[in-house]
Amino acid sequence: MNKEQKRIIKVLFLLSILFISLIVYLTYFELFRAEEVKNSSYNKRPANDEYVLRGSIYDRNKTLLAYSTKSNDDAQVRNYEYNNLYSHIIGYYDNIYGQSGLEKSYNSALSDSNVIDDVKNVFFQVLDNFKINEENIPLIKESQGHSLVLTIDHALQQYTKEQLGNRKGSIVVMNPKNGDILSMVNYPDFNPNDLSNNWEKISSDEENPLINRATEGLYTPGSIYKIITTTAALETEGIDTQFNCEGEINIGGFILKDQSAHGNVNLSEALIKSCNVSFGQIGVQLGQDNLNNISEKFMFNKKIPFDINTKKSIFPKNKMDKAEIGSTSIGQGKLEVTPLNMALMTSAIANNGEMMTPNLVKSVINSNGTIIEESEPKVLSTVTTSEIANNITEMMVDVVNQGTGTQAKINGINVAGKTGTAQNSGKDHVWFVAFAPAENPQIAISVLLENNGGSGGANAAPIARNIIIKALNNIQQ
Amino acid sequence: MATRKVNFKRPQNFLFFLNLLSLSLVILYNKSFDRLSVGVVVGLTLTIYISNLLLLKISSGDHYLLQIVSMMMSLGIIMIYRINPELGFTQVIWYVIGIMTFYLTYFIIKKITFWPKCMKLYIGASFLLFLLTLIFGSTIKGATNWIQIRGHTFQPVEVIKILFVFFLASYYVNRNKFENKYILSIIVYLHIGFLFIQKDLGSAMLFYMVFIVIFYVYENDRKFILINIIAAILMAILGYFAFGHVQIRVEAWLNPWSDISGNGYQITQSLFAIAEGGFLGKGIGNGYPSFIPEVQTDFIFSAICEELGILTGIAVIMLFLILIYRGIKISLEQKNQFYRIVALGITLTLGFQTFIILGGVTKLIPLTGITLPFLSYGGSSLVMSFAALGILQVASEYIYSEQEENYEQGTKEDN
Repeated sequence: MNKEQKRIIKVLFLLSILFISLIVYLTYFELFRAEEVKNSSYNKRPANDEYVLRGSIYDRNKTLLAYSTKSNDDAQVRNYEYNNLYSHIIGYYDNIYGQSGLEKSYNSALSDSNVIDDVKNVFFQVLDNFKINEENIPLIKESQGHSLVLTIDHALQQYTKEQLGNRKGSIVVMNPKNGDILSMVNYPDFNPNDLSNNWEKISSDEENPLINRATEGLYTPGSIYKIITTTAALETEGIDTQFNCEGEINIGGFILKDQSAHGNVNLSEALIKSCNVSFGQIGVQLGQDNLNNISEKFMFNKKIPFDINTKKSIFPKNKMDKAEIGSTSIGQGKLEVTPLNMALMTSAIANNGEMMTPNLVKSVINSNGTIIEESEPKVLSTVTTSEIANNITEMMVDVVNQGTGTQAKINGINVAGKTGTAQNSGKDHVWFVAFAPAENPQIAISVLLENNGGSGGANAAPIARNIIIKALNNIQQ
Repeated sequence: MATRKVNFKRPQNFLFFLNLLSLSLVILYNKSFDRLSVGVVVGLTLTIYISNLLLLKISSGDHYLLQIVSMMMSLGIIMIYRINPELGFTQVIWYVIGIMTFYLTYFIIKKITFWPKCMKLYIGASFLLFLLTLIFGSTIKGATNWIQIRGHTFQPVEVIKILFVFFLASYYVNRNKFENKYILSIIVYLHIGFLFIQKDLGSAMLFYMVFIVIFYVYENDRKFILINIIAAILMAILGYFAFGHVQIRVEAWLNPWSDISGNGYQITQSLFAIAEGGFLGKGIGNGYPSFIPEVQTDFIFSAICEELGILTGIAVIMLFLILIYRGIKISLEQKNQFYRIVALGITLTLGFQTFIILGGVTKLIPLTGITLPFLSYGGSSLVMSFAALGILQVASEYIYSEQEENYEQGTKEDN
């Protein structure tokens, strides 16, 4: 090999080094730098694969609630037709702030397009190009994700929001027979259309507008919990339910009070008047285990399967003394519940003791409108027998007709309800849970006004009444 | 016989299936099936088949060169078609013209034997083209290196690249007659100076690199090579302080993020694309190559990385490395000194050009706008790359000429 050839080989060596250094650099870049580069705010690429136009979201009557549009540079914009109204149900979908609500839990369905549709699209174009698409099947040039049809009734949702107004709290309205959520409203809320401008404010707000109070807020239930204590009392043999209420009683060193002395009361009268003296003593007789078991049948300490994230209602696990059992059985103590759970509790009584799995998404449909997935009514938990449930229903009808819940009375319709005024570290939470018509329940509702300071019967019951009337009218149409 | 027709040992068949698969993917995701797509599929496949089969019949030299390039062309056209179907189709037409140029160059170079004697012609033609560019040139993308003729634009520098290699080869072949390394250097630096005036920094760098390597292989005065390198470094430093457009390039390289909406825009968009692609890529049709300016020409590699992954990017680099290896092998085996130097020069031109643009779009070195041979969209660049390939094809064959007898003498002089 002569000098010239040796030098040429060295040149090959040099070029190889240059090219291999390119490969090494590219690999290094991809392994160690890519993540940082990708996340630069100047990167216009959407965080998710958005070549599929994100699917829309409709209410049960196919009212359009949320949809996506494509701008000129291929980036997608998510539009929420009713601003704040669905901020906790649908949630938000944002490249920077991520997703919440149904946008999060149904993300893959919404961004999934049907491969067969894609192939079909091209196939039809071939037909069209060769002028053999005689039926003139319209060509969709866009891959579209699946759409969601909710169980929500848009008109009722709007009305529910009107009723709650600017009061902090949460309302859940559902069909007790199949678990369909008909409306679900919380306040404070936020506008998902305007997230980027207000994110600082929304995320640092002490009132937590991002939280879905209905499914993730935990509140002391107060007297509405007496429905569960009543169920336990009726299920357990040998419980004495006849008491003489003198207005207060000392249980294990803790004094339970009533607003007035109720005199001689049986179980039904105790529930109608929401007698703490009676329920405190019933609780002590039942004992912690008994209360715990029946509460867990009502889904306390259990994850409620739902289309969006839920928190567990809490029945305390620590060993309780008599005083704590007494206050727990009237819905105080360390009990904490979600409004959704209370709506389910009410629904279970309405539905002959069978708690249905709550549903928010009625069906998933593809871009042609064909149903891909449909929710089926499922029993979540059998809380008691239908005899006992009907027995409690009668008591709850009397609560509205002659007891603490008279503000929820509707002419010509029997409403079954229960009031609650829950003491907590702040002003009292007020509750009202109800269902109607009592004989053939169509609607179950739970109303919570957070730190309202009034009473359930005075402040929450009228809201429930209005919504029940509106909902029953809706169904009749 | 039927089995032989689908013989996977033949690279063309591999390529055929690669093209079929990727083009049907592109058609699926672009959601367009029309005359253009038929044109691209048929045009690309036929051109690859015919050009490679024809070569087997015609040339006794290296058959791998054109196959490697066919693979590159396939990747390029698929990507360009995905970015813009019309440009993709135009590129197929340029490919056909390129193949025609390849064979035309092959025959012309082979038939005419007085190439080593025309050194002055190469210099004259180069400077004439430079002057024409200076007088009639129009500025596109910041560089004044385009000539417009009836609406068609072409870059004279693409032709000068080949003239430059021919000039260097004929100088060293004829150095017994007139050897003057100073005049040689002056002519070379005049080339680079012209390119500098046109603000075509990428080509200036390319010409210098090709020159210095050929200088390194053939120059007897070793000290003078070192002086040249030092002088070049000094000039580069001087150029940095003297010319604003050099400073801009260097700053955009060192910290593109500080001026992301201005001078750093192109390179950061390219980095986003490469970062998003990952190792396996987003898949054809799933990326956003249109976010990068000039994506179909200078930044085609970034688009490939985004949608086909850096593994494909690495495959492209390896393809060029194989092409360089074949080119170097040709220059090692060629007995004719003129073609030996020409083969080396063309290999160096292709190799350095690839490195300059790939290093640029990945931010390994400062970005200078030149095309990626055989992959970028563009007429004059592609046609001249094919002309260069045609010359390399001739060089890969056994060539008898007068120089062969002088071969022994030449090496003795080297010693």
